[in-house]
Amino acid sequence: MSLFGTTSGFGTSGTSMFGSTATDNHNPMKDIEVTSSPDDSIGCLSFSPPTLPGNFLIAGSWANDVRCWEVQDNGQTIPKAQQMHTGPVLDVCWSDDGSKVFTASCDKTAKMWDLNSNQAIQIAQHDAPVKTVHWIKAPNYSCVMTGSWDKTLKFWDTRSPSPMMTLQLPERCYCADVVYPMAAVATAERGLIVYQLENQPSEFRRIESPLKHQHRCVAIFKDKQNKPTGFALGSIEGRVAIHYINPPNPAKDNFTFKCHRSNGTNTSAPQDIYAVNGIAFHPVHGTLATVGSDGRFSFWDKDARTKLKTSEQLDQPISACCFNHNGNIFAYASSYDWSKGHEFYNPQKKNYIFLRNAAEELKPRNKK
Amino acid sequence: MTICHFFLQGRCRFGERCWNEHPHGWGDGGGGRPPPPQQYPAAPSGCSRGGWSNSSQRYSNVIQPSNFSKSTAWGGSRDPGKTSFGSFDSGASSSGSRNVGFSQNRFSTLSSNQVDGEGIAKDMEVWESSGQWTFSVYSPMKEKPNISGFTDISPEELRLEYSNCITSNTLQSYLSSIQQLVNLWKSRLLELKNISAATRGALVRPGVSFLFSVIAGFPVNSSSSSGAQNFSFKPTSAFGAAPSSSSTSVFGAAVMPTAPALTASSSSNSTLTTSAPTSFGFGEAAAVSAASFSFKSLEVFNFGSAGFSGFPASSPVGTAGASGSPAFGPSGSGSGATPFGLSAGGFGQSGASSTLPSSRGSDTASAEHLFTPKNELTAEELKQFVAKKFTLGKVPLKPPPEGLLSI
Repeated sequence: MSLFGTTSGFGTSGTSMFGSTATDNHNPMKDIEVTSSPDDSIGCLSFSPPTLPGNFLIAGSWANDVRCWEVQDNGQTIPKAQQMHTGPVLDVCWSDDGSKVFTASCDKTAKMWDLNSNQAIQIAQHDAPVKTVHWIKAPNYSCVMTGSWDKTLKFWDTRSPSPMMTLQLPERCYCADVVYPMAAVATAERGLIVYQLENQPSEFRRIESPLKHQHRCVAIFKDKQNKPTGFALGSIEGRVAIHYINPPNPAKDNFTFKCHRSNGTNTSAPQDIYAVNGIAFHPVHGTLATVGSDGRFSFWDKDARTKLKTSEQLDQPISACCFNHNGNIFAYASSYDWSKGHEFYNPQKKNYIFLRNAAEELKPRNKK
Repeated sequence: MTICHFFLQGRCRFGERCWNEHPHGWGDGGGGRPPPPQQYPAAPSGCSRGGWSNSSQRYSNVIQPSNFSKSTAWGGSRDPGKTSFGSFDSGASSSGSRNVGFSQNRFSTLSSNQVDGEGIAKDMEVWESSGQWTFSVYSPMKEKPNISGFTDISPEELRLEYSNCITSNTLQSYLSSIQQLVNLWKSRLLELKNISAATRGALVRPGVSFLFSVIAGFPVNSSSSSGAQNFSFKPTSAFGAAPSSSSTSVFGAAVMPTAPALTASSSSNSTLTTSAPTSFGFGEAAAVSAASFSFKSLEVFNFGSAGFSGFPASSPVGTAGASGSPAFGPSGSGSGATPFGLSAGGFGQSGASSTLPSSRGSDTASAEHLFTPKNELTAEELKQFVAKKFTLGKVPLKPPPEGLLSI
């Protein structure tokens, strides 16, 4: 019986070897700890697509490496392979058939890692660090989309050294998400652009940011017919905006909510406000998870506009998160995200990736 | 099954155990929430309250009372404390039962074009006290352009800088540039905190244009200093330095109307805002001597007034001194030339505070001379010119006497 996806307490058996009475707070949720986690902050996580049997997790870190683990049903994680860049890895993604992994790095390149041969080749070049990488699979084309701090969005056929297309961004690309046929890119200076990817990528709309501060992460969500219909945008100000592309009633349908703040209901004391480092939507339930610099993760139901759960506080910020393809596993990385500058950086501090059973906790609040 | 009346009002005490029907479009997390004193274990199961805030005040332009029709039909006016998960910013919820906070929105009378000065001050305070990320842009309302003076740096960019500096052994320069950026941010934050306090009164006036947001765009940060070249100010090189002095600020205000993109009326908000940073350099380094500013600004004043729709016809520079000198006195005066007044108020603020009283008369015809002979100056004006820096509220409208210029 597969333990992932049932409610049995595999979590307890699979906890780290440090013992359950650890007084430190590195794993207050008692989630499964991934073995041989990266040596420096984890910037990005990605699970394999459904086309690949089993679950494989990829993590890119500031130690310039990309690591791959196989995650078994009993919760065991087996390190499989590793590749290096010459700069910190900022984003990773899988191809749709699960055979390749694309990695974007501060060394201004993006690489394609063939897992079968364990070879990685460079497939993209920018003038500044590449912040996002996504695989686009359209009926009539496939390509890799890279967003960079050089204010461009480039589309690459992995076989050719020059981009298929280059689109100018108003500012440095800070985060992006792709769910065919829609792509959403958030840039510096609160820029927000949505692209449509049918036929060929083209700018669909520039959107006035619903948030007042710097954009940090974006995730596209789908409607009941499995079509992308909007996105969630997180900022450094502990706030997430849910924005529909063509809502029947924008004023009513679009909204923002505060999250990752201390003493939420007590308005007298000044709150501590933390950045939202990542947003991920559950592939089945459509509910979302947010992770923040406060070291907590939260699950939300955007349709019921309610919070489902907030975790205990970890002793480090949570810098990245993602769901596996069927939504049974929620992975989150606990490592320093530079939210307090260099003074709080401790290179000796261990970085973790935790896995949690997400099948039950993310069920929407009201079943129709 | 009958529909539960209390649930519709949001106060069903039985929650899921209720014998009546709870229509599920409400998203109430399993039943109405009882009044706070009664801790009701069943109903709010898993439905925690945090996070969904109701500070809708800032987003007044998105709130549409007409959306509440659904809720009013159910008589749902609970106070926010009772809602299951707080309430939202902007827009009524789709289930319509959580709109109470909006009706209490005290800024609902503000037109969408108005910028909420109080909101800005509050945001700044929160920013300062909350420990949130410093290097972020900011905009007073959603869907509005950024206020200038804040740079957008993501944590990754900063960290990359750090790693590069470590490897190239230039850590010191990294540290000092961080320090500088933080100082810039701090001073800008203070300015914004103070503008809002000062100009709050003026903001609520009808017809106050969105120019206010432009105003906020004054101290130019280094990246936009090049725009300052548009103005024939001599010390253009001084722009881009840390905004420190207040002496130049008031004159800077005068300059504003002439920014090339400014000819339009207040409705062209975005152009104004974006051009603002490029067109002035108020609060720029003290190197800009007041004297050199003054006569240029006066020239500028003249054509400025023509293009500026926000002003009453007679108001350009000359009369500024008289009728409450809107140009220099923010809020307090609150005459028709409020946009200007606002701006001045903004500028005046760097570090200083309080409203500027109108600089008294002896206004007109100041534009006609480049310099004022000493005997025409009042004692106060003379004192101002002689002083190292101008005192807010006492900045003379007339150009300084030739002898006092120190370029």
